Amino acid sequence: MNLLLIGVALFFAAGLVAIPLPQKRKGIAYVSFAASAQIFILPLVIKALLGSPTLNLSVHFSGPIGDVTLLLDPLAAFFMFFISLGGLLAGIYSLGYMKMYQDSDRHSLSTYYFFMGLLVVAMLLVVIVQNALFFLIVWEIMSLASFFLVSFEHQKEEVRKAGLYYLIAMQIGAAALLVAFGWSTVLTGSMDFGALSTLSPAAATFVFILFFIGFGTKAGFVPLHTWLPLAHPAAPTAVSAMMSGVMIKTGIYGILRIILIIGVPSPWLAYLVFGIALLSGLLGVIHAIAQHDLKKLLAYHSIENIGIIGLGIGVGMLGIISGRALIAVAGFLGALLHVFNHFTFKSLLFYGAGIIYSKTHTRNIDQLGGLVRVLPYTAALFLIGSLAISGLPLLSGFVSEFAVYFGMAQSLSEHNIYLNVTAGIGLAGLALIGTMAALCFTKVFSICFLGNPRTSWQGTPSEASSTMLAPMIVLASFIVFIGLFTPLILPFLSGVVKQFCHESFYPAWNEILDIFLEINGALLIFGGLILFFIGLRWMLLRNKTVALFKTWDCGYQAQSSRIQYTASSFACSFLRLAANIVPQKKHIVRPQGLFPTQALYESHSDDLIARWMIRPLVGLLHYFLGLLSWIQSGHTQQYILYGLVFLVMLVIWVIGVR
Amino acid sequence: MQKGICLLIILMVPFVFTGLINRVKALWAGRRGAPLWQPFYDFRKLLRKGDVLSKTTSFVFRLSPSLNIAAVIFVALIIPLPQQKAIISFPADFVLFAYTLGLARFMLVLSAMDTGSPFEGMGAAREVTFSNIVEPAFFVLIGSLALITGQTSFESIFAQLNTSARYTVLVKSLCLASLFVMLLTEGSRSPVDDPNTHLELTMIHEVMILDYSGPDLAFMQYASGLKMVVITALMANLFAPSGVGALYGIMIFLIVLAGVAVAIGWVESFFARLRMSHVPQFIFMMVALSVTLFAVVIFFLYGGN
Repeated sequence: MNLLLIGVALFFAAGLVAIPLPQKRKGIAYVSFAASAQIFILPLVIKALLGSPTLNLSVHFSGPIGDVTLLLDPLAAFFMFFISLGGLLAGIYSLGYMKMYQDSDRHSLSTYYFFMGLLVVAMLLVVIVQNALFFLIVWEIMSLASFFLVSFEHQKEEVRKAGLYYLIAMQIGAAALLVAFGWSTVLTGSMDFGALSTLSPAAATFVFILFFIGFGTKAGFVPLHTWLPLAHPAAPTAVSAMMSGVMIKTGIYGILRIILIIGVPSPWLAYLVFGIALLSGLLGVIHAIAQHDLKKLLAYHSIENIGIIGLGIGVGMLGIISGRALIAVAGFLGALLHVFNHFTFKSLLFYGAGIIYSKTHTRNIDQLGGLVRVLPYTAALFLIGSLAISGLPLLSGFVSEFAVYFGMAQSLSEHNIYLNVTAGIGLAGLALIGTMAALCFTKVFSICFLGNPRTSWQGTPSEASSTMLAPMIVLASFIVFIGLFTPLILPFLSGVVKQFCHESFYPAWNEILDIFLEINGALLIFGGLILFFIGLRWMLLRNKTVALFKTWDCGYQAQSSRIQYTASSFACSFLRLAANIVPQKKHIVRPQGLFPTQALYESHSDDLIARWMIRPLVGLLHYFLGLLSWIQSGHTQQYILYGLVFLVMLVIWVIGVR
Repeated sequence: MQKGICLLIILMVPFVFTGLINRVKALWAGRRGAPLWQPFYDFRKLLRKGDVLSKTTSFVFRLSPSLNIAAVIFVALIIPLPQQKAIISFPADFVLFAYTLGLARFMLVLSAMDTGSPFEGMGAAREVTFSNIVEPAFFVLIGSLALITGQTSFESIFAQLNTSARYTVLVKSLCLASLFVMLLTEGSRSPVDDPNTHLELTMIHEVMILDYSGPDLAFMQYASGLKMVVITALMANLFAPSGVGALYGIMIFLIVLAGVAVAIGWVESFFARLRMSHVPQFIFMMVALSVTLFAVVIFFLYGGN
């Protein structure tokens, strides 16, 4: 345990050491400290995942705090693994990416690296602290550190706005957690997490919902997701990648930890979680399709993937309440695997988006095109990420989604009408999420990388530096490896999944392992077939002429790159079908006369929940708080009067009441 | 051995299948039509040719045909012929089936967008839009069959489905109708798409492979033919009563295949392609049929008590 804490401290030191160094050296300092932190953290974490006895460290505090336990069980180890790795990769990526801020006086790289280190430290502590008070403290440090990172480019007004929005959303979530922890501490008389298991079922249900609200805000479940599409585009790319790939998973961690301690106190909670997750998945991806801003689009995909993770958790909870081992194991396995997979492909995609931004200085994909010719490596890596996030076979995304599907398919063979109908809806919903994600990523990849450039570059962009590509290559190799050799990585997850299951469920694990062996065999056959046909094509074309010509244009000679399909036109036929779900605002200036001088077409999409739920609520709040605004009148005399009235009341209370 | 023969049959029939559709259409139009094996001759001819590639395209365009043909052959391994064992079968293999076809579609759409042609962009946008209706409906369909049989792999679902008389004509006919809509959509046939017209504005699948030539085009055309055969094989499985021999199963498959080809040819001869804005409504029929099927199955299982 002490070694682990040294590792955590090294991350803190990484941020601290960067402060006094000159701009150019800060990144290197952070990376070298973060890398040495891995030496302390990873071996212990991997040992814990493989089932070595759990490490813990207890410190006793006097008074109401009681024992503060740090616990490294498989669940904590699982999250620590990629938090720590993500912290390092973000640092390496920043070496290249932050160069564009290096020479400016207005951006302080010191705060950047300091808060990045602090964020990693806070996240690492969040998953091991087992005491309510200390948990809330590190949770708040995590939110604040990420707030400062989001506000890195605070000179821009939109960034300031997004940062504040993020901070407020986090405080609402934290308030729910505060009430949940406070309530349970009052009921059980202890701040230790273990005490939560002694709550009565009714109280446990209430507390569970509060925890779900609190942690769900962090994770980005609908309808508490509205901060994600604002905060992610505002933050520097490495931070977006870390927030989306790693930080929102602490919300998932919280939900899993609560399930681990208090179980599923009421059966309907499983259906609730399942339903909210499905809604998050669907709304997330539908909104993503309508976006033109690459980072905003990726942010919406985080909501979608949190939905898929939530579906896995929901299936697992359904398995627990119906007592079916295979369903429970498949659900939790799918959720955990997807947590890690989402870390890999979402970080990869954000890093790719960062490269595009640093080369072209735009996040609007409608202005891009043809980047595959200037950024070939980025394109190939981005394609791997796109295929993986769409859940397509041979890559990691398929494996985790398959586990969730498998759990649902198993629920169909139970004789329980609620379970059957839920599973049926879930199958259709997850399939729809999958095809919509595929639509969205065919759009993103083809509009950014394929075809011809839609605007002329200011100087041709060149391939990104190796420090920016290296983290992407690491992540891509995870994606390919997990996709092709799943059974090899399952032993690392067995400890975590088994934590959620009764001992009688353990044989189901071997059954799942067998199925994954079969799938793996099938996928390798598929891979072989692909290689065979690539080889065949090569053989067939070896001695033939392969001519290069222009794209077939139906005889129209004045081709311009502007007649290509854009992101908006590509998504248009789908969005017309989904017009009720994604509100679109259009701004059209029609061409007029024989020689039109101007014409304009702009479409913006709005967030359904933000429009119909969050904004009306905020409006209502504004109104009622406005009714009290006379209290703050701006007259000094009135404020003095308040003080006087207060003193008089205090005197009356002290004399009269006591 | 038996599995090998089945595989060989399923790999060979796509040529005849498209040949038969074309022959049916020719006969309805009062022509004699091309030989049944014409698609095979075309395939052979294309394999011998060189390639013409667009200068705009990248590695995606070159990779896509090989991946498409591999993907469709791979899903052919998952689908059993009636009364036969599938070559690859495991619980919930229908997920792998649908997602492998999804991968093929993903690459096809990317290769269309790779050319930078607005026509191919149109086809691509339509293809991905319609897949959003077909795939969830397909999952509900297979989910209903899984629900009524208590099995989750294609092979055991169909084995179970054909052993009991409990599963009435209603279930099977809903299933059949739903699969037929899927076949017309995935196979890009009329009234969803018109494989004959060369007016790119109205096409979906044909326009996406507009820039392919030589072996690449051969791969793409074969993949699209085999995809239709695979979906037809699913339909054929509904017709196999239990206890009949393996040979009989193959016969059933061929008969159903011929029947479906005639049906497609008939539909294409007598129905105009729908207006593009009405196509989603047609495909939504599959959703309606599948959801009805699911409701019927739920009623079967729980309606009694």
